[in-house]
Amino acid sequence: MEEKYLICEDSLEGIFTGIYDAYALREGHKHVHIQVGEEENLRLFATYMHILPDPVKTEKVADTLKERLGEHAYHSLCRAAASCYPDKGEAVYKTVVDALTAGSGSRVMENLRNPYVARCFELARFTANEAHFEIEFLRFQELADSETAKGGVLFARIGPKNNVIPFIMPHFADRLSIENFMVYDENRKLFGVHPAREEWYLVTAGDAFVLKDPVYSEKEEGYQELFRAFHRTIGIRSRENRKLQRQMCAYRYQDYMVEFQQKG
Amino acid sequence: MDIRIAPQMSVMDKLKILGDAAKYDVSCSSSGSFRKNDGQGIGNTVAAGLCHSFAADGRCVSLLKILFTNECIYDCRYCVNRCSNDVPRASFTPDEVCELTMEFYRRNYIEGLFLSSGILYSPNYTMELICETVHRLRTLHRFQGYIHIKAIPGADPLLIQRAGYLADRMSVNLEMATAEGLRAVAPNKHRKNILKPMRQIQNGITENRNEITLYKHAPHFCEAGQSTQMVIGALPESDYQIMSVAESLYDKFSLKRVYYSAFVNVNEEKDLPALAGGPPLLREHRLYQADWLLRFYDFKVDELLTADRPNFNTAIDPKADWAVRHLECFPVEINRADYHLLLRIPGVGVKSARRIVAARRFGSLTFDDLKKIGVVLKRALYFITCNGKMMYPTKLEEQYIVRNLTYQNQMGRGERLPFMADGTTYRQMSLFDMAGFDDVRKVVSI
Repeated sequence: MEEKYLICEDSLEGIFTGIYDAYALREGHKHVHIQVGEEENLRLFATYMHILPDPVKTEKVADTLKERLGEHAYHSLCRAAASCYPDKGEAVYKTVVDALTAGSGSRVMENLRNPYVARCFELARFTANEAHFEIEFLRFQELADSETAKGGVLFARIGPKNNVIPFIMPHFADRLSIENFMVYDENRKLFGVHPAREEWYLVTAGDAFVLKDPVYSEKEEGYQELFRAFHRTIGIRSRENRKLQRQMCAYRYQDYMVEFQQKG
Repeated sequence: MDIRIAPQMSVMDKLKILGDAAKYDVSCSSSGSFRKNDGQGIGNTVAAGLCHSFAADGRCVSLLKILFTNECIYDCRYCVNRCSNDVPRASFTPDEVCELTMEFYRRNYIEGLFLSSGILYSPNYTMELICETVHRLRTLHRFQGYIHIKAIPGADPLLIQRAGYLADRMSVNLEMATAEGLRAVAPNKHRKNILKPMRQIQNGITENRNEITLYKHAPHFCEAGQSTQMVIGALPESDYQIMSVAESLYDKFSLKRVYYSAFVNVNEEKDLPALAGGPPLLREHRLYQADWLLRFYDFKVDELLTADRPNFNTAIDPKADWAVRHLECFPVEINRADYHLLLRIPGVGVKSARRIVAARRFGSLTFDDLKKIGVVLKRALYFITCNGKMMYPTKLEEQYIVRNLTYQNQMGRGERLPFMADGTTYRQMSLFDMAGFDDVRKVVSI
């Protein structure tokens, strides 16, 4: 039978709409595939269908998954869909098939014998781990007052491989509920914005956006200096072990952390 | 008594001195407590804890770990802050500690505050200062992050209780594994005085738990439990003694964690070991591995060590060591064995054991599946079968397995140690340092 490729947008909406349309085809799932982003090498004897993200279909898929799979498995799928790997669409789709059609239901993420579930599990774990590291390692810097926002806006820059902002914002929104803060993902030009005592939201900056060097508050440099000094002091010289340090906190995170920027 | 606090000292200088003075305290965890923000101030706590940075020695920096003051009336021989040492002294004011904590916390540098102190004037005076500082942080600044407080042995039980209601975790350091050892190195400290607050905190936690069952909004007392630490390698205690003490602390004092701290002879004290090869890191590592076996793998100390074999094997980890001496339990059939038996297989951890139990409901597992699940096959393969078959033909023989496990170590493909195999850190190794090679050869010829 002919292979069908559904080409979806690289987002949770895109993948969920793809899953909806794959089910709507009613052709079984063996020869239907989901591909995220652009088509690459075209195959012979295959049809390609471009799928536009659709909020209604997305909502329907999300509701079904939440109901039939439970919050836990649903969140795993969301994390897998936020991955940076292009095979995520297919992995998420076939995992949903395993849960709904093959009947593993809410236990689907435990069925690691299924290669798609195993891949989905792996992708979700990578996103979850990276989100966890960003929660630990991102550094806020206090911006100077401007005319629109007076004082104390906190700003953090990150460069994650996966799209982690939606997973880290709830943590900071709870922790710093009374602060105005922003997290900026350089790789996706995506802002997570939290106004004090309000709900957080996402802002896409568009491809042409270039971040201007922010102006920091007067006290900012002083506290950075204090933390750098503390960080230097706390290490025990006779136990120095840079390799272990690098294992625990990779260079790609260190690049964004104030204590690893040598100044003065 | 004159006050030697230098008022003109800057916060930067104080932080350098008092951070430096606190660094030998191992405890770094920020786990065990789960609290949402109430919308009135900043902060919450996360059950699993968060490490915000890693210092040059590879240890995590989770809390702002400082002493309130490094003035001390005691003269413990292992301690850098003892009164007979001529080191620069400094003291924070409560406001300075609060400001540092708040500003570091909102920038996501730290998970909270770890406040310890040298003994200024008396245990009571010191404990009151600590309580006052933390009270100000909790009430005036409405700080809801993690706080770890040292209970000062000898302080009034009422002060300890007050601290318990302000802190997430408290700790009293046992310092030395044996009472005689403590007497020898810390003339002003007594085992009895250390165990007393430990017992008080334990009872406080139990009572508080009952209270919370009855009254949901009762204030929490040391929600994240208590911990302690022991110095390793300063005195000739055996691993067996140390682990037995740890086990009884877990069983009888319901501690959350016991930390082990490889001895660093900071005072160049001539009666204490000089340790030319650096602190005994490999030994510390083995003790931590065994500690995990006690807490998460249902092992007992007597299974791991005996009076005749009082120290851990440096060549292989405690779990593999147990396994090769109990080959009658192996091979284990992955598709049948119960969870507790799975946990005993070298190369299978808590997570992979759980995943195995969950995944095999869907059908029998193969070695390929185990790899995806996260089992370390290069270690597990000697001890397991999948559907009655071993991965490769191997011998179930102690000598053979040990040789293979340690051979992998030599090739750099075996056990991942956080430092080189002879216990030196990465940094200390040089091309001309051949000592390590001799050790390895000894291991191979067992």
